[in-house]
Amino acid sequence: MLLFRSEEHRDRWREPRGLGADGTMPLATMWELAHAWYHDRLDPAWRRKTADEAEALFTQLGLTGQFWRLR
Amino acid sequence: MQTVTETGRVPDAGEVAQALDLPHEVVVGAYRRLHDGHVFVLEPGSSERLRMANPFSAVPTAFRIQVGERSWWGNCVWDGLGMIAALGGNGVMATTCPDCAQPEAVVIAESRLRHGSGVAYIGVPAASWWENIIYT
Repeated sequence: MLLFRSEEHRDRWREPRGLGADGTMPLATMWELAHAWYHDRLDPAWRRKTADEAEALFTQLGLTGQFWRLR
Repeated sequence: MQTVTETGRVPDAGEVAQALDLPHEVVVGAYRRLHDGHVFVLEPGSSERLRMANPFSAVPTAFRIQVGERSWWGNCVWDGLGMIAALGGNGVMATTCPDCAQPEAVVIAESRLRHGSGVAYIGVPAASWWENIIYT
């Protein structure tokens, strides 16, 4: 996951690589995802999210469509 | 993880075995299981060293995380911001735009995004992330 100055900069980088734009989100959404994913990472009881839990979180944050399906 | 958060360095299997007084092969086996379970990522070609103790990176990257007086490397924007979340919700992530190399700083305070702009982007679909997680 990278951080680009704008969608224009993203497109200049991704288009020569033949990559689509589906994996884009505002920085604010990125922070929400990162916080939800890792805020309890240092808790000894932490466990990795299941695929169902991860997909539910993506949906909650508006990250929908085939690109965000884990299976 | 305690060693990583306190020192910024990811210990190898030998160091963990010594610190926990465990047989070396037990720690190597644990590293392999954590790698296979997509919790940690082994350095390619090694069963002893980690590339990623997610969200922390064992090697320098384009994502420098500062929390208080301490700093670490993150694997990507997701992990870098995740480190700030895990470390209490106050910190700065420094990175550069991959297109133009302009420095960007993202500031998180009290678990809120206070400063930073731009768009986060991943080119690999979710179902393929772990096919080459270092590239992803």
